[in-house]
Amino acid sequence: MTEKENCILEVQNLSKVFDADTEREKEVLKNVNLNVDRNEFLCMLGPSGCGKTTLLRCIAGFESYEGKVLVNGMERKQPGIDRVMVFQDFNQLFPWKTVEKNIQYPLKINGIRDKAELKQRTQEVLDKVRLSGHEKYYPYQLSGGMKQRVAIAKALALKPEIILMDEPFAALDAMTRRELQEELLRISMEEKCTFIFITHNIQEAIVLGTRIMVLAEGGRIVEDEKNVIARPVTPASQGYGEIWERMHNALYQ
Amino acid sequence: MDEKKRKIQAIVARTLFIIAILCIWEIVAKSGIMGSNSELIFPPLEAIGAAFIRNFQTGMAGVSLWVYIGNSMALLLEGLLIGIVLAFVLSGLSMLSRVFYDIFNLVISICDLLPGVALLPVVIIIFGVKPGVIVFLVIHAVLWPMARNVLDGFLAVPRIYVEAGMNIGLKKSSLLLGVYLPAATSYIVSGLKVGWARAWRGLISAEMIFGVASCPGIGLFINQMRTNMNNAEMYATLIVIIIIGLVVQYGVLSPIEKCTVKKWGMSR
Repeated sequence: MTEKENCILEVQNLSKVFDADTEREKEVLKNVNLNVDRNEFLCMLGPSGCGKTTLLRCIAGFESYEGKVLVNGMERKQPGIDRVMVFQDFNQLFPWKTVEKNIQYPLKINGIRDKAELKQRTQEVLDKVRLSGHEKYYPYQLSGGMKQRVAIAKALALKPEIILMDEPFAALDAMTRRELQEELLRISMEEKCTFIFITHNIQEAIVLGTRIMVLAEGGRIVEDEKNVIARPVTPASQGYGEIWERMHNALYQ
Repeated sequence: MDEKKRKIQAIVARTLFIIAILCIWEIVAKSGIMGSNSELIFPPLEAIGAAFIRNFQTGMAGVSLWVYIGNSMALLLEGLLIGIVLAFVLSGLSMLSRVFYDIFNLVISICDLLPGVALLPVVIIIFGVKPGVIVFLVIHAVLWPMARNVLDGFLAVPRIYVEAGMNIGLKKSSLLLGVYLPAATSYIVSGLKVGWARAWRGLISAEMIFGVASCPGIGLFINQMRTNMNNAEMYATLIVIIIIGLVVQYGVLSPIEKCTVKKWGMSR
């Protein structure tokens, strides 16, 4: 595969200004350029307010911006199921639908009507996030961690090119967070899918990412490297300390 | 267990309250403390009970109260249905077009303040004395509060649901039906409650002010009882009105709530 073909996402000269032409005008993203390879697991670290969430929302098509976002070489301006977002908010599932319906509804909208196929895909993704048997639950009956699992399952079922994750585990307790990191790592290694994952947590970035990036004010990329530590990564893995140190310095410089 | 105890407590308290009211009523009626008109103002309970049965058996002018109820309900249902559908359609359009929203918002604010009964003379001048006038008033009564609630509900839909909807490929009208509508259910249900109550009152008042001879309803019935000084029958008809209200509340609205917002954990 040539380099061009291997590139799934290109962000070109992306700029975003909030509250344009007012006193509060703020340029959140300044000329951001970014290429992401197929099947990469890109973790983005960055201090609060550096624009990483905004960048993700621009890629997802939720914000207007200047510049270009290309998926497989084609420009994307609107949200689409080639880039599915998993939010931090536990309330991203529709409370009026059961777990099963939450997963099947997006599929139905996108043209999958065959009952057997719907059922089979639901089973498959629920197995992947280890939530089989919870098909008939309503979201309010699930814990935060389970809701996030369903959200991931829902995204996987759509078989998107890119899954965008905006600190999906940030609001979880440490134990559940650890568990979900492991699940996501396993899933990302099995799936043919590209992940862009925002986090504040260096450990999380090193455990999950095949590539780690640190953003600073204005979406400036101050650190960008491949994560070559053999998986699964633990704090005892060779090279862990060095990479942690580099990310930490880049983050707090 | 606690929940059950609380329910029993509520039932006992309510029953005792009603019994107490009835006792006071009966004492006032029998003791004659309201002077010589006591029996007229407060007919004894047994008289009201007998009138209640008489209403349904002989009724007025040889027509049972059932027929009047039927007429009223038919007009009410027609008006409610049109009003609710209109409220949904117009609120939906408001979400799709900013200009439509601005105008419709103003129209709601103006019309919601106009009592239907005050419109009655105008409506009669335009349409004449026809059952359609009552339907018009019912629509007027239900449309504005319902539309206000539906709109408020749409505007209060959390952004996360909207984005989750856009994320899976919903746009404009499909987003409206797939996300805004279900997410606004609790607002819609409260709109239904207000709308129904307003429509029911509006219907009775319109019928009392001008009864349509071709389609006589409960309001006309109660008004006739008043002119004929059949006070026991009048009270009995009031009870019928209350019963119908309760049946709709507990037989229609509560079940709707139970199998939507309560089932989804969106309301306790």
